[in-house]
This record gives sequence, structure tokens and C-alpha cells, in this order.
Amino acid sequence: MIMLVLFRYRYHIDDYRAKEVQTMHKDIIAVEGKLTPLSSKTHITYQVHLEQPLSALEIDFRYAPKPFLDREASQPLILEAIETYSDPAWVELHKKQWENFYPLQNLLTLSLDSPTGFRGSAHRHAPEQQHIICPDRSKTSPGFIAGDVPSGVWKVTISVHCVVTPDCRYELSVRGTGR
Amino acid sequence: MRWLPFELHTHTPHSDGTHSLLEMCRAAAELGLDGIALTDHNTVSGLADAEAVSKQTGITIIPGMEWTTFYGHMLTLGAPYCEWRDLGPGDIHKGIARVHEQGGIVGIAHPYSFGSPICTGCHWDYTISDWNQIDYMEVWHETMPPMKNHNVPAFRQWTELLNEGYRISATAGRDWHRSNPADNLAAYTYIGLPDAPLPHSLTDIIAAIRQGQICLSMGPLLEISLTLGADQYGLGDEVPLVIREAHSVAELTVQITRSAQPERPWGAEEGTLIIVDSNLGELAKVPACGYDGLPIMLTTAGLGWLRVRLFGTIDGILTTMACTNAIYFANGQRDEE
Repeated sequence: MIMLVLFRYRYHIDDYRAKEVQTMHKDIIAVEGKLTPLSSKTHITYQVHLEQPLSALEIDFRYAPKPFLDREASQPLILEAIETYSDPAWVELHKKQWENFYPLQNLLTLSLDSPTGFRGSAHRHAPEQQHIICPDRSKTSPGFIAGDVPSGVWKVTISVHCVVTPDCRYELSVRGTGR
Repeated sequence: MRWLPFELHTHTPHSDGTHSLLEMCRAAAELGLDGIALTDHNTVSGLADAEAVSKQTGITIIPGMEWTTFYGHMLTLGAPYCEWRDLGPGDIHKGIARVHEQGGIVGIAHPYSFGSPICTGCHWDYTISDWNQIDYMEVWHETMPPMKNHNVPAFRQWTELLNEGYRISATAGRDWHRSNPADNLAAYTYIGLPDAPLPHSLTDIIAAIRQGQICLSMGPLLEISLTLGADQYGLGDEVPLVIREAHSVAELTVQITRSAQPERPWGAEEGTLIIVDSNLGELAKVPACGYDGLPIMLTTAGLGWLRVRLFGTIDGILTTMACTNAIYFANGQRDEE
């Protein structure tokens, strides 16, 4: 893994004294991948060991494409789903209206585990997401559980609920903020 | 016992809902609800606000989660986060045990929704080898649930399971993601709770749902009581074999109380029917206006369970307006187990 350590300096005035606070940003995970429909119903977990406790984790996650905009290729997939799932009495009606289910979508969701257990997830449809996890509840992203970022083994899991496009690319990066 | 309307399936921005917990609970109060279950997809982080929001709005908040997995969606109530990501389609009983060990209960959400790739994991595909482990089924899903196609097989499956002797509660769930006053009405899940001072204890609410002290309704509350000799039984109760055998006829009373919400005006008006369903089929079908509070006489031979439905017209469509959970009858076979 490539590790980049950046230093940034900020100045605060405190009791008429200038106080230097050093904030460190550290790249922890930077990966990308290509998925196909074969990856539907799989989990991809990136496991990483944090040597030092951090003050926050920042996660960037994106995948594309989101909708499957190939009408011709979508039709048999939708018809098959209708046959599988519809009450038999309604199959023909649903099939006539198959375009109600167009376009189909890819869905990948993210979840996070700290050394002591589950730290939340972002089960939502946006294909570009940024998250912050820190002790401050007002700054921690919805879906994630605010708290310390201790050293130890952390896991970021991409749950591939569905890839319906021939290709789906994702990028995941995790950065730590320390002091 | 007091009967309070709850909404048992909701989401906030902690998963994919758009209304905050506070916004949703304010809307819930306007809709006449007493409580909600927060069941965000695969997270419990939204519950951090629950105490403050409950205090501010008066809405009881049941902690929950919707397991949003590849093979089905399962609602959990009264348990903290329990792990689902390591389970395959044959492992749901392992997952259910995790929830039960933490004091929670589980319910199958919208079992007959379309699944992947139309709606990922929305159709129930897990193998259930022991239906006794399923505490409840969401047989009414989304708004105007008695009229939704995908609820028909769910309701039918619940009935078949009751026929097979299982004791499974049935709930309604709006799957509420956004507060829009223009939306159609959702059903209430009335829960029968002890006449204890407020706030209701979570333990009592969970126990009542597991027990089936529940009436699903588009508005009117159905309170039913079954009398055999000197003994009375309510929803979720079991009539012992000796009592059933000692009384060939039972008296069923149904009390129909209209909702105070003006948008839910339905009650025991002319043309509305009380239908008594059972493992033996329909035991009675009588005009609601004639039997609201008056006993219906039922033959007890061969009964395994019964429930009451109110059948009438909503927006010009004949439909089930309300349906209770079951009263059960012990049978010899079960006692030997």
C-alpha cells in the first residue's frame, strides 16, 4: 500500500498566544476495481491495520454507471424478474408494463467495522459518497456511529447488492486525520 | 389494555430516507400515531436522536433495523445491531438467533415484493426451516396496503401458516421514506399495551407484538373478546383444550371504534361486514352495524385459530378495512409436544 503523509499547519489565537496545531492527513486505503454481474450478491472487504489512533476517518466512495441505460438488454432481465417474483395472476399484466421497471440500477453500499465492532453503514443509492467518522456526532456522517478512531484492525466492506451493467467500476479511498 | 396506533417500518437519512427522525415524528403525530419503529437499512446510528425526538414530539420510538440483505429484508425490533453480512441464503436461522439472544424480535418485511434486479433483496428468498422462529410478518406493506397486489400472497401465506398451527403475528408497515402530506394513507398497526403509566416500556411493546396483540387497520380499531363459559380470551391468547371441549359454543364480541382522524372516517356503517376467519374458513359474515358490541355465536368444534376482519368500502373499492391478529385454540397434538 502506498502511504502518503501530508502536513498542514493551522494557527489559532488562544489567550493572546499563537499556538501551532499540527494536523496530519494520512492515506489509508486507495483502491479501485471492476465488477461484472457475476459480483452481484458478494461482499468486498478491505481490511487495514491502524498503528496509531486517529481523530477522524474520511471515506470517499464512487461507482459508475448507476443506471443501466440499455433498453434492449434490460428487457429480458426485467421479464425474467417478473416471471420469478410476480403472483401468477399478474404476470402477463406486469410483462406488458415492463418499462415501469426501466432503467435497472446498480447498487453498491458501504459499511464500516472498527476493532471493537460495527460502526455503521450507508445504505443509500447515491453513486458518489463522502463520509466522516469521528467522535463528534454532529460531524459524523448519517448512517455511521460517532466515536473514537482507535488503533487496530478496521474493515471497510462494499456490499455488492446488484451489478446489472456489463461493467461497473468503483473507487474507494480512506484517509485518516490525526494530530 | 389500551390500543395505540404505531408505524413499524420507517427510514431516515441514516439510510435512504429523506425526512429526519424529528420531521418524521412530527408528521407521525399529525397522522394520529402514538409511536414508530425506526428501522433504517443496516444501521442503528439514527437512534442516537431518539430520546430527544421522543421527548419533543411525544412519539414513542422503538429501536429497530431492517436487515437489507441479498436474500430478503428482515425487520428487527428491540435489538441492537446484529450481524448479517456473513450469512448465506440457508443461514437465516443463525441470524434470527442473534436477534433473539439480544432480546429482539424479527419480522419478514414485504415478503412478496419483486426482488433483484428490480428491487435488490426485496423478495424473501431465505430458507425457513422453523417458522416458530419468525415472530411476525409484514402482511400489509406501503400505503393503502389492502389494495396492493404484492400484499395478497403475503396475507395468504400468513393465513396458511396459521392453518398449519404456527403462531405468527401480522403487522402493517408503510416503509416510510419521506413525509409528504399528499401521500395516500398508510395503515395503522394498533398494539394492545397494558394500562400502565406512560411512557410505554419497550419490553411491553415488544412482548405485545410477539404475542399478536395487534389490529391492522386503515382507521377503525377492532377490539375482540371471546367468551367460553366464565372465561374470556383476547388477541394472542390461547383457549385451552379442556375449555374448548367443555363449551361447544363461544360468544365473540367485536367493538368497532372509529379513528379520531378525520381522514379515516370508516367504522361500523351500513354495508360494512364483520367477517370471522378461521382454519375452518369463514365462520361468520354479519353486518357490522348490527353486531358492533353484540355477541356473535360460534361453534368451537375443530377450531385452531380465528381472527376478525372488517370489510367495507374505501374510496369506492370493497376491501378489508381492518384485520385483527389471531386468538388460538390449543389442540391435543400440540399439548403432547
